[in-house]
Amino acid sequence: MRTRRLLLYIILIAFMFIYLLPFWSAVTTSLKTGRQVTMTTPIRFVFPPYFGAYKQAFSELKRPVLNSLLFTTFATIFSVMIGSLTGYVLAKLLKGETSRKLLIFITLGIFLPYQSILIPLLRIITKLGLYNTIPGMILTHTAYGVPITTLLFTNYYYEVPDELIEAAKVDGASPLKVYTSIVFPLSIPAFVVTAIYQFTNIWNDYLFGVVLTRGEAAMPATVKLANLKGSFVANWNIQMAGALIVAIPTLFIMIALGKYLIRGYTSGAVKG
Amino acid sequence: MKLKFKEESLYSLLFLIPALVLVGVFIYFAIVWNVYISFTDWKGLIPSYRFVGLENYRILFHDPVFWTSFRNNIVLILLFVPGSLLLGLLLAILLDRKIKFENGFRTIYALPFALSFVVTATLWAWMYDPSDGVLNTLFSMLHLDFLKSNWITDPHVALYAVILALIWQFSGYTMVIYLAGIRSISSEQYEAAIIDGANPLQLYRYVIIPQLKKPTLSAFVVLMVFSLKAFDFIWVLTSGGPGTSTFILAVEMYKETFAKTKFAYGASIATVLLLLSFAIVLPYLYWSYRGEKE
Repeated sequence: MRTRRLLLYIILIAFMFIYLLPFWSAVTTSLKTGRQVTMTTPIRFVFPPYFGAYKQAFSELKRPVLNSLLFTTFATIFSVMIGSLTGYVLAKLLKGETSRKLLIFITLGIFLPYQSILIPLLRIITKLGLYNTIPGMILTHTAYGVPITTLLFTNYYYEVPDELIEAAKVDGASPLKVYTSIVFPLSIPAFVVTAIYQFTNIWNDYLFGVVLTRGEAAMPATVKLANLKGSFVANWNIQMAGALIVAIPTLFIMIALGKYLIRGYTSGAVKG
Repeated sequence: MKLKFKEESLYSLLFLIPALVLVGVFIYFAIVWNVYISFTDWKGLIPSYRFVGLENYRILFHDPVFWTSFRNNIVLILLFVPGSLLLGLLLAILLDRKIKFENGFRTIYALPFALSFVVTATLWAWMYDPSDGVLNTLFSMLHLDFLKSNWITDPHVALYAVILALIWQFSGYTMVIYLAGIRSISSEQYEAAIIDGANPLQLYRYVIIPQLKKPTLSAFVVLMVFSLKAFDFIWVLTSGGPGTSTFILAVEMYKETFAKTKFAYGASIATVLLLLSFAIVLPYLYWSYRGEKE
């Protein structure tokens, strides 16, 4: 029994090494000079560490990271608010077939391959004068966030007992009042899960960013990182430093708030 | 009472407007528009909507690159989907044994899934670099030279290298789904099986795995749909190369549309992708809708 337990831990730790290897080699490589990258193996750290690669990667990524932070924050807020209101209507105000049909209509977009709307999207955003702008990115990510935020909130509100809402209605509260005074405070956990899920999704996007931006005015960090690959072809230290900089927000979320992110995944969520 | 009812419908409508407008315009209207574009001759940066019927589809179905992409998509689905499901199930089973630091292991295995495909593609470009890269260096150090390869620069290996990295990224997700599924099985069933003298292997074989149908199916659909639209990772890692060895439909769509500005042609590839994802998703939705009713 004891040896079997030991074997179990050995297997788990072996898997851990495999999963961490790409991160490990990225960290070691990002702390080397270009010469050290070719002279030493990517497994080993070099002392003293060299921070020049981070400096260069950061100066390239500074503006795009700020762009991403800006539009990700706003699109997260908007898509979560809309999802919450819609979920409230679908789970509490409307009942039966109407509600079910509307839910399917709104959430079917979760399974949409974005390629099939990409050209019209580019036309819509261009016609609105929002090509290569932060508002354009916010609008796009809000729109394509609505299906998943609506699903997460609707499922959450199904669990809220109707009696709570009925009691308030008897007191003469309007649906808006019921929402602000009862439903909203009750759904803080759903807001946390959905917001974290949306932030990760929007921050990680590449496809919308590469199609809807050009130049630095609104370019997301992911698009700039992909471009660094072209402009620093053999500079693995700069590429790895850049990748880790772009990974920081979502790595932080997974490590510190992983519980909530995982709850987002298990509620029937989709990536990319 | 009647007035009350009216007020409620008014609010419902008001609250629904943002979602209905956004979804209506950016999803349904955009889908119809895209299908329409696929019937036109739009080439170049200025839109042209001259109707040409099924001409783009006729060219598409005679395009060898389309069939290469289609074949690669099938290979991707056949290896990536079961690979991710099985590895995730294995990790979930291993972690479900009252492990110390379970949260730590779980976070580490799920870490790759929280990252952008652009980040993971950059990390794997370095892993797979044939000259100084991580894997070849590691295999040299461990005297496992027979495992060394040109990875993504070898047209016979590139697609499999892409699939391996994607399994690395998605197995944490399937693990999370399976772990939640295993944990939702009632303890009475465990106990009953253990009292009947089931060993752990039998416990999984006869009690736990048969009850994982639902998480398996939902993860299956997510992985299938991802296989169709996988673009970011492959585009950043290989751009579909070397040659067309890692072209899949989503990569071909992007290249035709935005690199060659053949918008109508790209729209026809996008429509094919849409129909394929319908073929996967609609039976699933029908199945889960029926399941809910029962």
